[in-house]
Amino acid sequence: MHRRFLLVLLSALAGLGTFSCNRQKPKTLNLLVWEGYADPSYIRGFEAKCGCTITATYMGSSDELVAKLRGGSAANYDVISPSSDVAGMIATAGLAAPLDLARVPSYAQLSPRLTGLPLVKSNGKTYGVPFVWGPNPLLYDTTAFPRAPEHWSELWEPKLKGKVSVWDDLSTIYMAAQVLGYDKPDPSALYNLSDDQLEQVKKKLLALKPNIRKMWASGGELTNLFQNHEVVIAMGWPLMTNQLRKVNFPIGETIPQENTTGWIDHLMITAASDNKDLAHDFLEYMIQARTQKALADVTGYTPANPSAAQFMSAEQKVSLHLDDMESYQRRIYFWQNVPRRARYNEIWNEVKAAQ
Amino acid sequence: MYTRTYKTAVAVPPLLWVSTFLLLAYLLLFLHSFWSVQDGQIVHHWSLSNYRTLATQPLYLEVLWRSTKIAGAVTLLSLALGYPLAYYLSFYSRRKMLLYQLVIIPLWVSYLVRAYAWKTILGSDGVLNTLLQYVHLTDAPVSALLYSPFAVILTLTHIYTPFAFLPIFAALEHIPRHLVESSSDLGASPRQTFWRVVMPLSLPGVIAGATFAFVLSLGDFLAPLLVGGSSGIMISNVVVSLFGAAYDWPLGAAVSLAMLLLVLLLLWLTESLEKRWSHA
Repeated sequence: MHRRFLLVLLSALAGLGTFSCNRQKPKTLNLLVWEGYADPSYIRGFEAKCGCTITATYMGSSDELVAKLRGGSAANYDVISPSSDVAGMIATAGLAAPLDLARVPSYAQLSPRLTGLPLVKSNGKTYGVPFVWGPNPLLYDTTAFPRAPEHWSELWEPKLKGKVSVWDDLSTIYMAAQVLGYDKPDPSALYNLSDDQLEQVKKKLLALKPNIRKMWASGGELTNLFQNHEVVIAMGWPLMTNQLRKVNFPIGETIPQENTTGWIDHLMITAASDNKDLAHDFLEYMIQARTQKALADVTGYTPANPSAAQFMSAEQKVSLHLDDMESYQRRIYFWQNVPRRARYNEIWNEVKAAQ
Repeated sequence: MYTRTYKTAVAVPPLLWVSTFLLLAYLLLFLHSFWSVQDGQIVHHWSLSNYRTLATQPLYLEVLWRSTKIAGAVTLLSLALGYPLAYYLSFYSRRKMLLYQLVIIPLWVSYLVRAYAWKTILGSDGVLNTLLQYVHLTDAPVSALLYSPFAVILTLTHIYTPFAFLPIFAALEHIPRHLVESSSDLGASPRQTFWRVVMPLSLPGVIAGATFAFVLSLGDFLAPLLVGGSSGIMISNVVVSLFGAAYDWPLGAAVSLAMLLLVLLLLWLTESLEKRWSHA
């Protein structure tokens, strides 16, 4: 509750500030997005075009995003980037504003496989634009692993005691469920685990705890853990592989034989935003082919706009799997809405709090 | 002396402050602890279910117990460091004010900076591990140094020792020196003087210092977050995640109130101890 008071106090102060010094107020667009989605390399271009400033807050997990939207701070953000697990819920819960697609002309260029999903559509209205997608791959220090690990279960090997990092997110639950084989035959079972299965997952994760040195809560934290040689293997994002390669860290990235979970990220405008016009312009900018190429450069994620490929080298197309999209997508079990998310969170908290 | 208007004018702002930012906030916390979350919304159905969860789900009590143990260790270490230092400063040091300032200075440095400093010192590539390997005491980094309960205790001790030191120092400074002199005039050895004169008279300071160190470290969440790893999490981290990602404010409120109760109980206990010893 303190937070709400602080907010009132801060907004009162901010109100005083704008009242006293800004006659024509410069527009600010506030983002609450995953790391990598507000990189200066493309954000600057938009700022110059619209004469506005962009401030970005990074989220560490889907649940953090939802908690922020629900906890009363939704009005602080204009644009959010929920993934396929919570995007639908955010749309139906009235936390996002319906989009005026006429103002986002590049929407027509996006891959129909993504825009065709029922995910962010409700009552005939569209609430989000898919803009990038990717997997949660296994990252490893190549000095510790000359050959790429082949299974997620290798994280449990006793020789990796205190050398593993996992994401402080439900994705780690999905991963353990995969190791237990609950994704067979139907991968969507990962998002609909029964109580018994969740208990087994919890047991499995408790067995992993001795190997976990630190759970990472932000992309920057995991790259630091690798660079300081605190861990040698972790579940991560392609963004981190990109960042670590840029600083010449010997990082390897693989999708183990069990396949992995992944996400389709959407840009949405919050229902509480005061800058909906500007936000629409931003969405359009983010899915234009050139921006999409820049986004792929920074994050290593696959752009939703296939025409971004015209700006890419053959090499980049291969690394983004644009040449074998279908088989690549078959290896990624995209996050879905988890009907019993609260129960999943309870299990996850119990795993975290255990000794 | 002062007019009634003046008195009111002086009293109103602090009263307003305390009632809005403390009493009202605690009241809301109290109310929340009887509500619950359904389908991602906080619903105002009164029930004791959160407290039932607290009592039946061993997890919360386990973490609370672990936090108490960590806070207890921090308190003992802070006293073990703070008392001799305060004693030396008060009775023997010629540069009392300089040393006093040196103890205080770390308090002016941001908590985060100090916690991060320990990461640099204790990490696998950190200062300490590099040194240990350089002098061939170990041939691989000692990983238990960082991301462990040990690191949490060390960091918290570093941060809260000044809080233990200050009241002890104040208590020692208030001991009339002629009592110490009389004690030795009457034939007591320095050791006897310390245990039978100085120590008892400084006890209220020790209790105050111990209370500070214990209460502050019990509620700490940054140190376990930054250096605690996967096995060093404390009760405040649970509260943070309940109010954050889990979006279970009612249960978070119940855990917070349980903690508050524990702390109030402790404060009442030390208060009465302090009173008894200062009148002895």
